[in-house]
Amino acid sequence: MNIKKQFKEGLITNNPVLVQLIGMCATMAITTTLFNGVGMGLSVLIILTCCNVVVSALRKIIPNEIRLAIFVVIIAGFVTIVDLLLQAFIPALSEALGVFIPLIVVNCIIIGRAEAFCQKNTVGASFFDGIFQGLGYTCVLIIMCVVRELLGSGRFGGGLIDIANGFRFTLDGTGGGIQIFPADYGASILNLPFGGFLTLGTLIAVMQYALKKAAKKKELAEKAAAEAAEKEVED
Amino acid sequence: MKKILKLTFILFLICAVTAGILGGVNELTYRRIDEQNRIKTVKAYSSVLPADAYDEIDFAAAGVPETINKVTIDKISKAANGSGYVVESTFSGAQGSITMACGVDNNLRCTGISIIKHSETSGLGANAASSSEVGVNFRAQFVGQDGGIALKKSGGEIDALSGATITSTAVTKAVAVAIEAVGMLG
Repeated sequence: MNIKKQFKEGLITNNPVLVQLIGMCATMAITTTLFNGVGMGLSVLIILTCCNVVVSALRKIIPNEIRLAIFVVIIAGFVTIVDLLLQAFIPALSEALGVFIPLIVVNCIIIGRAEAFCQKNTVGASFFDGIFQGLGYTCVLIIMCVVRELLGSGRFGGGLIDIANGFRFTLDGTGGGIQIFPADYGASILNLPFGGFLTLGTLIAVMQYALKKAAKKKELAEKAAAEAAEKEVED
Repeated sequence: MKKILKLTFILFLICAVTAGILGGVNELTYRRIDEQNRIKTVKAYSSVLPADAYDEIDFAAAGVPETINKVTIDKISKAANGSGYVVESTFSGAQGSITMACGVDNNLRCTGISIIKHSETSGLGANAASSSEVGVNFRAQFVGQDGGIALKKSGGEIDALSGATITSTAVTKAVAVAIEAVGMLG
């Protein structure tokens, strides 16, 4: 188990949305205010971690033939628990995310991690995988929310931050956010579903560029090191 | 044969355990969820027509059709202080259905609207329900309007939300329907 490596994979090199390209539907649909993004990200993080732990704990007794059915039952169970808890304790979030909470059942991040990782790894490793993949997902949602909110309606932290009566965090989604420039000057195109496509596409492109660049740098450094070693041998 | 029995048994066991856990969670949360829904409805009702209590009336028996002009009437409640009625209706917006409470006084004028549930575009149609200045101003326009209510472009007095003509039209139509329904009650 290598926690540091898993951390890096979840957030950057194997980020669920930007590199594995899974779970994109909800990503594009709900990233309209920071409140939604943080709420959805944390819900997925919790469900993913729970499912990962249970799936990896049961991996020895789950028969291969019916594994997908069992994964879906486990995932649906946790999603329903989170859905009920949100409705009872954070109704504003449950309302804002609407159908996307129940739809986490078919979110491919969760079944994807169960299939690709938890089946073959220990409970501990799966637990950290859930946390880090969940964090990677949450980070992408937050970036998308901030970009779309700022450029779309000139706001920051909609639903989550309220500055009407001094700066405070609102956990019931009522905060108006910080208006950075008047909403009329925003490109409201970004608030629409296809604004989600544009933002996500740009983010993926930036990510791929950065990853390629890092890989190239690493290659060059290795080459230089190899040449230096060769030279030493010659000397 | 033995194999299939084993598979069935394992799947059954996992489903049973999951169902048991869900039953427990439901038991813990359903009262709070009901309470939240009730609070929300009461809040919406009292913001459109202040009263201590609301008595639901059987509007079908009074001859009001369930659907008028594609707006479905869910409930009509009479304010206990006799100041008017609250009509709860569901209709199509730009993205999905909208549920709205609309207060109507005894002179068949709108006393206010409150959107209970919607899935309109954030930043555009969703402003109809938001607590922002745009949303508050939009909803305030409906107060005092009568059955002839219409958007400015159709010769009325209501300013549509910018970039959200479909939502604005739908809300305006639903208010007209609410007034019409209360009018039928007599």
